[in-house]
Amino acid sequence: MKNKKWLRPLTLALLLGAGAQGLQAKTPADQLIVGFSMNNLLSLDPAAATGNDVVEINANLYDYLIELDPLVPGKMLPGLAERWSVSPDGRSITLSLQQGVKFQSGNPLTAEDAAWSLRRVLKLNLAMASPWKSYGFTAKNVDKAVYAPDAQTLVIDLPMPTDPKMLLFTLATSVSAVVLDRQKVMAEEKNGDMGTAWLTTHSAGSGPFSLQEWRAKDTLIMNRFNGYWRGPAKMKRVVMRHMTESQTLRLMLERGDIDLASGMSVPDLEAMKKNPEVVVQAMRRGTMYYVAVSMKDPKYADRRVRLAVRKLIDYDGINATVMPGYGVPNQRPVQLGLAATLPSPGYTLDVAGARALLAEAGFPNGFKTSIRVLADPPFINIATSLQATLAQAGIDASVITGTGNQVYGAMRERKFEILVGRGGGGVEPHPHGSLRALVYNPNNSDAARLTNFQGWRTSFFSPELNQLIARAEVERDEARQTADYQEAQKLYDAQVGAIQPVSQMVDTVVVRKDLRNYQGHPSATTRLRDVYKQRPETGG
Amino acid sequence: MIRPGLRAAGQRAASVVLTLLGLLLLTFVIGRVMPLDPVLSIVGPDADKSTYDQVFRQLGLDRPMTVQFAYYLRDLLHGDLGKALLTGHEVVDDLVRVLPATIELATMAILLGTCVGIPLGVYAATRRGQLADHAVRVISLFGYSTPVFWFGMMGLLVFYAWLGWAGGAGRVDLAFDGVVPTRTGLLLVDSAIAGDWEVFRSALKFLILPACILGLHSMAYISRMTRSFMLAQLSQEYITTARVKGLSERGVVWHHAFRNILVQLLTIVALAYGGLLEGAVLIETVFAWPGFGQYLTSSLLLGDMNAVMGCVLVVGVIFITLNLLSDALYHVLDPRTRP
Repeated sequence: MKNKKWLRPLTLALLLGAGAQGLQAKTPADQLIVGFSMNNLLSLDPAAATGNDVVEINANLYDYLIELDPLVPGKMLPGLAERWSVSPDGRSITLSLQQGVKFQSGNPLTAEDAAWSLRRVLKLNLAMASPWKSYGFTAKNVDKAVYAPDAQTLVIDLPMPTDPKMLLFTLATSVSAVVLDRQKVMAEEKNGDMGTAWLTTHSAGSGPFSLQEWRAKDTLIMNRFNGYWRGPAKMKRVVMRHMTESQTLRLMLERGDIDLASGMSVPDLEAMKKNPEVVVQAMRRGTMYYVAVSMKDPKYADRRVRLAVRKLIDYDGINATVMPGYGVPNQRPVQLGLAATLPSPGYTLDVAGARALLAEAGFPNGFKTSIRVLADPPFINIATSLQATLAQAGIDASVITGTGNQVYGAMRERKFEILVGRGGGGVEPHPHGSLRALVYNPNNSDAARLTNFQGWRTSFFSPELNQLIARAEVERDEARQTADYQEAQKLYDAQVGAIQPVSQMVDTVVVRKDLRNYQGHPSATTRLRDVYKQRPETGG
Repeated sequence: MIRPGLRAAGQRAASVVLTLLGLLLLTFVIGRVMPLDPVLSIVGPDADKSTYDQVFRQLGLDRPMTVQFAYYLRDLLHGDLGKALLTGHEVVDDLVRVLPATIELATMAILLGTCVGIPLGVYAATRRGQLADHAVRVISLFGYSTPVFWFGMMGLLVFYAWLGWAGGAGRVDLAFDGVVPTRTGLLLVDSAIAGDWEVFRSALKFLILPACILGLHSMAYISRMTRSFMLAQLSQEYITTARVKGLSERGVVWHHAFRNILVQLLTIVALAYGGLLEGAVLIETVFAWPGFGQYLTSSLLLGDMNAVMGCVLVVGVIFITLNLLSDALYHVLDPRTRP
């Protein structure tokens, strides 16, 4: 009799459970459900946005003047600009805009909106002003340099000589290059902020989706804009959910409760590769995983010690065991796949060679040092491998972990010895982006505080390389430019730069197999306008 | 002459204000000295000096710390907790959104933990040294020592992925997201008020698993403490007297011994509840539950001190309120504490 008392609630629970199972629903056919960590999603304002997540969101809320083909590196496609031309001297770019484009507000999109959007980036001088400042634009000169002679024509005059192709790539890849609805934004302006407080959490674009709601670290919902000039997107709604735990993402993908997940751990990605219900898609980005040394430290100012450190990295081991899912081998400071990229120099772990160099430099028994690194994989795994291989040559390295803020903060202050990190531009498919970020350093003094140059952060200063990079940037002849960039790589190799790339970043997303036309973009400008679900009951 | 009751209330109010002020000051100082740079979080690692300096000034970080704290207190007196430095959202709005999510989860968890934990503890105490007692102790030890994170993952795997009984990550099925108007922020309550039972069922389905796992942890703690309190009472002479008088064992246990541990239990449950409200971060992470714990942790890691200060204030208020409530209930439950 006693047992029967337990049976009733147990049976009830089982019945309720079975009933609940009946309520289980797959993702709706006309909605795209995405899971990823929104911890780095801070501001939606294109002038202030940092990180790849916001680029992907804004690429769907706004339109770019030019787009880049996601599959063919460097191939430019029309966006809001149906065509463009570069003046013979390479100092002026004229873009002709599509006719009849309207913002989501109903306002017509004109070249003046495009000019205002670019001027706004310089005048606000927030995070995304950096690439434009590197081309010589300033808050003072931008009004004259960027202008709209008529409603369909935008002219950009380059304030200083540069490769116009580089600027076109920036127009196609930088989140700051999207066109804003000037009237709508200015209606929300407060205290002369050009609408930045409002745009942090709202959008004012002409893209295929409009922002319905963004609850920080919770949910972001975009709705289809039916008046989109290319025709309405196939999905009615895109729902993005803040999900930080990789195994939760995996379970939800397997159950079909989300359509797409990014930021999953490598073990989960490996498991997902065996699942026939999903497709694992890897995209190579231009960013590098690297080992950097600070040349402010007298030890590392010695070329022989830097060379010894270069020989104490287990490139093969790291790339074979740590990097699958995170990166592919690359030892050059220029991204793979470009015409100027030289073949791999083929560095390998060479403990004996490193020991000899250290002895020559006056460190026969090694020395003590520290490695600053993020506590997350793959950074910490690279650092652990490095710690072990440095020890083989007598270098006793302690590992100091921290958040991105702490690790890169120390690097910006030039207060580190060795650092395992990731960076180096590479958004534009052009050697200049990487070399500028990783190698170029026009002024090595502490007072210059050129914190945006990793060359400055590591105190690597090579007038010859600076000159070569600057020369290549303005070289109009493609063959000579390629030769210059190749010479720069050889020189960097010979001078043993302070940053040694180990691997080039790969971003991996997992999508349900019924999702069609999802193509991740190397510049993170992944467009969702053509994405749909192939389901038998909906007929696609 | 001030009446003694009024004076006591005044003293209590002053101590509450001072506690909160001290808490805020401490958090403020810690926030400024810890090596986290909100400016870097905002401008990104590749920003140049002019952008960095401009944002540094915009955030008011160029002002002396005392001035910054004074401005914060001034705004606080006007009910303004400021904007989250990183997302630009009003901290108050964020808290109004994330706190009910955690309250709903923690309340369900503490209800489960209390309703199961107390009877288990009493049961174990009355069968001291027997198999049932050992079983309860093992269950408690298991529930208390196993990481809640692991329980969360296993729970998701079994009850969501394999059996399909529970909802997955989040608070409600996507189809129901935003369907019922927000009144309290507690989805079960809001959907009940709206009379939308489909949403209610969905919210319950998503809530039950994380609440059970959190509740298991509380249950383990509460049952252990209940057992220990009960054992102390059951060895008292008045219990022997009650038994000698011929009272039933149920009457002895529940009407005599248990009544005498109520005050201690109340403290334990209140503390456990407070702990759940601020410390459910792991289970919130596993279940992508958009709650207070996740909000506080991510704000802290990015150096968003406005958000962190708002959270600390809320935690302070929660604990003070729970303390005041349990103090008030002491008087109800224990005549000896009445003035």
